[in-house]
Amino acid sequence: MNRRRFLWGAGGACVALPFLEALRPASAGASDAVLPFAIFVRQGNGVQQATVDGEPERFWPSFAPGPMTRETLAADAGRAVSELADHAADLTFVRGIRFNDPVNACKHSGGGNQVLTAARASADDCNATLALGESLDSRIAALGGPGGEPLTLYAGIKTGYLDEVLSYRGPRQLRAAERSPFAAYQGLFGLSKLPPAELSSLLQRRKSVNDLVRGELQQLLAGRELSKADRDRLDLHFSSIRDLENGMACSMSDAEITNLQTGSSALDDDDTIENIVKLHCDVIALAVACGSKRAATLQIGCGPDQTRYHVDGVKQASFHEISHRGGVAGAVDLHHQIDRKLLQLYKYLLDKLAEHRLPEGTLLNRGVTVYLNDLGNKFHDYENVPYLVAGSAGGFLRTGNYLDVGGVANNKILNTLGAAVGCTNAAGAALDDFGDPTLEKGLLDAMLVHRM
Amino acid sequence: MWRPRIYRWAAVSACIAVACLSGCYGIIDGPSREASATQQVRIDGFPRLSHAQWELTVGDLFGLDSTAGLARSFASDPLGGKAFDNDYAVLDVGSSLFADYQLAAESLAEQVTSEPALLARLLPPTLPSDPEARRRAFLETFGQRALRRPLLKAEVDARLLLFAQGAALYSELDPFLAGVRVSVAAFLQSPHFIYRVEAVGHSASGEPEPLDGWQIASRLSYAIWNSMPDQELFRAAAAGELMTPQGVHTQVERMLEAPRTRVAVGRFFDQLYQANQYEHLSKSPTLYPAFVPQLGTEMRTELTKFVQNIYDESGGLRQLLTSTTSFVTPGLASIYGLAPSALATSDAEGFSRVQLDPGQRAGLLTLSGFLAWKATDSQPNTIQRGVFIMRRIICQALGSPPPTAQGASLGGQPTDRQRIDALTGPGTCGAGCHGQYINPAGFAFEHFGALGEYRTSDAGNPVDSAAALPFESGSIAYHDAGELSRALADSPQAHACFAGYLLEYLAGREVVASDAPLVAKLAQTSLGGASTRQLLATVLESEALRQPLATKEQP
Repeated sequence: MNRRRFLWGAGGACVALPFLEALRPASAGASDAVLPFAIFVRQGNGVQQATVDGEPERFWPSFAPGPMTRETLAADAGRAVSELADHAADLTFVRGIRFNDPVNACKHSGGGNQVLTAARASADDCNATLALGESLDSRIAALGGPGGEPLTLYAGIKTGYLDEVLSYRGPRQLRAAERSPFAAYQGLFGLSKLPPAELSSLLQRRKSVNDLVRGELQQLLAGRELSKADRDRLDLHFSSIRDLENGMACSMSDAEITNLQTGSSALDDDDTIENIVKLHCDVIALAVACGSKRAATLQIGCGPDQTRYHVDGVKQASFHEISHRGGVAGAVDLHHQIDRKLLQLYKYLLDKLAEHRLPEGTLLNRGVTVYLNDLGNKFHDYENVPYLVAGSAGGFLRTGNYLDVGGVANNKILNTLGAAVGCTNAAGAALDDFGDPTLEKGLLDAMLVHRM
Repeated sequence: MWRPRIYRWAAVSACIAVACLSGCYGIIDGPSREASATQQVRIDGFPRLSHAQWELTVGDLFGLDSTAGLARSFASDPLGGKAFDNDYAVLDVGSSLFADYQLAAESLAEQVTSEPALLARLLPPTLPSDPEARRRAFLETFGQRALRRPLLKAEVDARLLLFAQGAALYSELDPFLAGVRVSVAAFLQSPHFIYRVEAVGHSASGEPEPLDGWQIASRLSYAIWNSMPDQELFRAAAAGELMTPQGVHTQVERMLEAPRTRVAVGRFFDQLYQANQYEHLSKSPTLYPAFVPQLGTEMRTELTKFVQNIYDESGGLRQLLTSTTSFVTPGLASIYGLAPSALATSDAEGFSRVQLDPGQRAGLLTLSGFLAWKATDSQPNTIQRGVFIMRRIICQALGSPPPTAQGASLGGQPTDRQRIDALTGPGTCGAGCHGQYINPAGFAFEHFGALGEYRTSDAGNPVDSAAALPFESGSIAYHDAGELSRALADSPQAHACFAGYLLEYLAGREVVASDAPLVAKLAQTSLGGASTRQLLATVLESEALRQPLATKEQP
């Protein structure tokens, strides 16, 4: 029996609710549970932006850094970021970010190692390099919020060459990503529609087994001279045992769940990736709206995203090939069109978050939702790596701005984003030392409403 | 020679540094960028079952006619660049996988306690009438198979308590059945099931104690069958036979004769050569109107049948690189220029044994799957073909192209070779890695188009597949893919590379410095003509498969 089907069957009859209704937390006052959150959506392969060999600029705004509005961004129709014009007031484009560790044999691997960690990369072979630090989503999830672990999602085919790149529990601890939106939903809310008596029985059975498993793990942790890797492994296993799933008060409607299940049946198909991204976005929106997760990542495509996207109705060459320009006719324009397509998917998420109202404003502005890339441009270098930020994190961040920070290592933007949602340094002050400890500490003041 | 990854990384750094000056070969000694290891010996003792291992194990444990299929929906493991899905270093249990295990355990426990035939397989042949003795008999009998070793008394006692709770937890069931159900669910979530627990102590001198017979039984079984030990292996473990080389030898000989060993061989090559990628091919409908995605699946099966046939015929790497015996469907036959109507009787999967034209093809690098995978919709991907040979056939570390080379476009030259040469060949910045190593390896396959079909011309020009590759023993010239494949078959580098990957797969871990003698021995015997079966036996009977994995750590 497929376990997804098993759980869905166990879910019993569902009450249909429109999406926004379903997004609404069930209990009174539950919106207080929406703590500042961070969502990271990752595109691979760099973007089509100006390069030293004369490729035109078609990503960043044509206007000078400074304030931007829906009108100014919409008027900049030749640039990929104009796709986000509807949210201009809630956006901050941060240009001029670089990764600090250049010494990687394989750029895709090394970029993935650093984009959300600002850590150095390990000295392994080429695409086997790993980050030597935790990623920001892990740090945020560990704030003590209800979820514990971040939500880690992946859309697209896994190639077996370089798949997940984004989320790290700690040094060398790359986190597995869930590919199925339906499975992600079930993991968060799968028990939400069980009748109370049935739920109680199930939880009691699980608790009995969990107690035994915990005891066994504790014995293993206590009784032997474990290597650090094994201790980390068993600690992770131990901490992953849950007696009660969180966020059970929220659910989608029957139709939406069916849509998730149907859409999740074709994960290994380039033709479905855009739909999978949207379904993942639905789950992410629900997870943060219900306070189930404070951090989420969504990786689109494998390390060197090899998805064959449709552009103008035609299935194109691998995005990776296009991004290198090698042998693909019209590759520059295709890269630009794919940038637009992926930004449209990011906008889909922003729309979802902006639709949901909280007493103090939109869900979008309760947290930060970041569109990032683990490479800069067609050279796959580590300079001018895009970070597009949406949301003010409850007024912590200035929005409606296009910034050029002029070549700053990405630890500072990660510090800023982490601090915006409540992360601190060891002294209890705003996070300013995330990532490689040899990097200059600090935040990006230009992003802040109040300078630190 | 095979080099542990740290040394290969050193070669990588050298390549980056000198990419525009010289070549990629050569070992540059230098300090790692990470802190060097120190002296405290720790034991890595918790290899988690891979998802494939979990699936096969529950199939064997419960005697299911077909595997449960549950692992297909497990949260997938991030391989982080590892070649094989069983690499211990990347297998852990996060919250998502924990939930997957939980659901799967509950589902299976319900299934096997709902079907009398399945339930009967879990119970000892004769159940005592005394309720306490019945419970204990079940837990000890099933527990030994589930945890792959006898349970300690304290473990049985703890599980008896859970068993007793079953009646309340499943009030609708017979109390004994309820106890079995909750117990089965608990066994499947036990760390002793999920991991192959190899935690051992240290002797008075501080050295790790050796693995016991039960642990060795699991090592052997998971190495070659990807599943739990069978009854005979358990018997040998219980009898202490696996503590002697002769006892291990006897079992290895038996295991290698088992039909499922062929499956394991196919799985190794499928992962080594990334044949899952054949499933995602797409070709130009204009140039290849007969292409359908199903052909990619058939190409993957062809590779499996190709390597299994060589295994059956006691072949080794030499035959893998040179054999012209393959297995095709009518669709694949067309790619090879064979008339579908002339195919001999096909097997149950619709594949017919054929001889490929030895003037055109030799070995697995000339099979359609590899060639079609390493191609665009319409053109061979010469660079990627060359890179694959560097990385997976001779284990040559490669770095990234220098920044000024990345993103450069192919020109408008008429032939593929001319375009590649103009972009990355002699006189360009790519002359180092590409001009000397990657491109020559890739050029050997110029006779093969984007679907792996043989061609004699490229855009109206005669195909030029001649090149020379600087092996460690000196530069070797060849005219085509067949000659390159035969040169590789004679190359110590290819055999050392193969040996390293084989050990990595069977041990389920990265090759480490202490493995060097074994890898050298494997490489030497492989070069001398040893079969894959002989190499498997050598690894399975080696100390590497019978000793705990020691790690030196900071105290």
